Amino acid sequence: MTVEERVALNDAERATLASVADRLIPAADGMPSAAEVLTDDRLRFVLAARPDLLGPIQAALRPDLGADPQARIDALGRDDAAALGALQLAIVAGYYTDKRVRELIGYPGQEALTIRTWELPPYLEEGLIDAVLARGPVWRDPSTGKRAVVEGAPRTYAERFAAPPEGDSHGHDRA
Amino acid sequence: MASEPVDVLVIGAGASGGVVALRLAQAGFKVVCLEQGDWLDRADYPGNKLDWELKARKDWATSPNIRGLASDYPIVEDDTPVSPLMYNAVGGSTIIFAGAWPRALPSDFRVRSLDGIADDWPIDYFELLPYFYRTDKQFGISGLPGDPAYPPDSEDAPMPPLPIGSAGMKVARGMTKLGWHWWPEFNSINSAPYDGRRVCVQRSTCQSGCNEGAKASTDLTHWPKAIGLGARLVTRARVREIETNADGLATGATWIDRDGAEHFEPARVVVVAANAIGTPRLLLLSAGPGHPDGLANSSGLVGRRLMMHPFANVAGLFEEPLMSWAGQFGDLIESLEFYETDERRGFVRGARWGLAPTGGPINTALPSRAGEQAWGPAHHAHVRTHLGHGANWGLFAEDLPDEANRVTLSSTVTDSSGVAAPEVHYTMADNARRMLDFHIERAKESLDAAGAYKIEVDRLMRYSGWHLLGTARMGDDPKTSVLDRWNRTHDVPNLYVVDGSCFVTSSGVNPTSTIVAIALRAADHMIETRFEQQVPA
Repeated sequence: MTVEERVALNDAERATLASVADRLIPAADGMPSAAEVLTDDRLRFVLAARPDLLGPIQAALRPDLGADPQARIDALGRDDAAALGALQLAIVAGYYTDKRVRELIGYPGQEALTIRTWELPPYLEEGLIDAVLARGPVWRDPSTGKRAVVEGAPRTYAERFAAPPEGDSHGHDRA
Repeated sequence: MASEPVDVLVIGAGASGGVVALRLAQAGFKVVCLEQGDWLDRADYPGNKLDWELKARKDWATSPNIRGLASDYPIVEDDTPVSPLMYNAVGGSTIIFAGAWPRALPSDFRVRSLDGIADDWPIDYFELLPYFYRTDKQFGISGLPGDPAYPPDSEDAPMPPLPIGSAGMKVARGMTKLGWHWWPEFNSINSAPYDGRRVCVQRSTCQSGCNEGAKASTDLTHWPKAIGLGARLVTRARVREIETNADGLATGATWIDRDGAEHFEPARVVVVAANAIGTPRLLLLSAGPGHPDGLANSSGLVGRRLMMHPFANVAGLFEEPLMSWAGQFGDLIESLEFYETDERRGFVRGARWGLAPTGGPINTALPSRAGEQAWGPAHHAHVRTHLGHGANWGLFAEDLPDEANRVTLSSTVTDSSGVAAPEVHYTMADNARRMLDFHIERAKESLDAAGAYKIEVDRLMRYSGWHLLGTARMGDDPKTSVLDRWNRTHDVPNLYVVDGSCFVTSSGVNPTSTIVAIALRAADHMIETRFEQQVPA
């Protein structure tokens, strides 16, 4: 089956899809409705990525479930959760991969960001690590069964950074 | 059919298989690996494409039962509330793991001595420490040295820590108010160019493969080097059985290619590295006249004591935008504040917390893990308030071994090669349930202290069986363990298991760091004892 054929829903299926889409994601709060966004292009995009969804979507759009979109959703939720899940996913995916919708919700996509490891992390600057170190070790020493006591353990990050320990300070040899 | 046996046959090209193959190849061993998956091209990974969230739910799902790819085998999971997760390819599950890299803690190796339950390991943390340092370098770890939840280290992580993001900062401030332990997470993800691999770009799509190659996966970190040293890696090779001779020694493995043709790979030593589902499956499939209950199974423990770390998710919502769709998925920060046993809590042992990014808009818009749905006019407000406004604590509960939790062979389901599928039988223990309930309450307090205005809880996530452990445990007594302290099977002197199956107890942390340190130690021992190694005539 080609991608073109995958979006060849008949008129009744398209109408049903639009009615369910509008029920799930209506126009509100300055956002368009899903039916408005879910063009053939968007549906084609979804099915190209997920051809396995076509069968369950068609099952969810079958005519015997009637004209009322909410009754259809309820019936599917009760009797065919997989078909409802496929329909919801197709509608949501078509909607939130639309450029305008992404702009409206302020989501740039999983964009590549530059990490700045040369800058002092803010948690060091705020002293959050010092607060953790000040409380001392929290691991349990198997030789005593109690919280470990490590002599000379750094209590600030500046101390740790200035003089990292040479051994594990616990009487164990390093290989 | 190969005519000459190789020195070592490794079954599985994932984390532990990659480590062992490289080490042995470095020592001059002639190594062959059989892997049922393929080489992948990271240009094909969906993380940098518009359809990422769609594909992450099918071809890039972490469950092989959902993916159903030619490289996968089905897992019968009707009798478990937790689904095992894995990936079959060169790199194995490191292709899709998050990259979090905590080590097991010293107390994890002494559970019986300290808490009077389960068993002690035959090895300990300090014995593994040099191997942790070496595998940290091999995989490329980013982290802030000095975590007081661990004994002091003499070697720092090779790279500085990754950023913890606005969500990490918010929660770290909350933890500081409470006086609770937290630390920037150690991840096997590059924070700087390292070993020819690029820097993390914070896409947060680590579980769909890393497009940058910044996350360590053994197809990048180990296999090219091993192959450069002469190791041979055969893909699309599904092992059906480990063969043995009349002396009880392994002689190699029979495997099936994608066209259904059978082959035999002869070897002097066999190393199984197929994870704690695939390894017991293969040992059970390898039953023969002298070992009718499965190979290396005189103890009856092959497949038993499966541990998967029951997992709960506690999500906090914040008024401020945190851009929490970005950041390494490995983990931003962790907490081990409640990791050690305090019997006043009503259970023994503890859990690790890892704070992770929260996903993109499709994940946000669909019904949540906690079952929350928002359709109709309220949908838009739901997405606006959730997308990028969340911080998720994932809680990994230590799973104690129970012989009833096990992997068996299905009598009805087979893979595409006609080989019996594994069947998983698993019940979450009352101790783990009490543990998760306690930790959920503490995690809620943490998010509350951080300023969350709403907190949502998933008390036990089904698709959370990332950590597969314990089904061929190590120990000194052949009656009560499958492997010796060097990962060699007690029953078959030239058969080793180097994956997470060897775990005696599960710890409560992500296990890959510990698995690969143990695998490297086993490989070193194989090299040191090469002249005493029994091999088939």
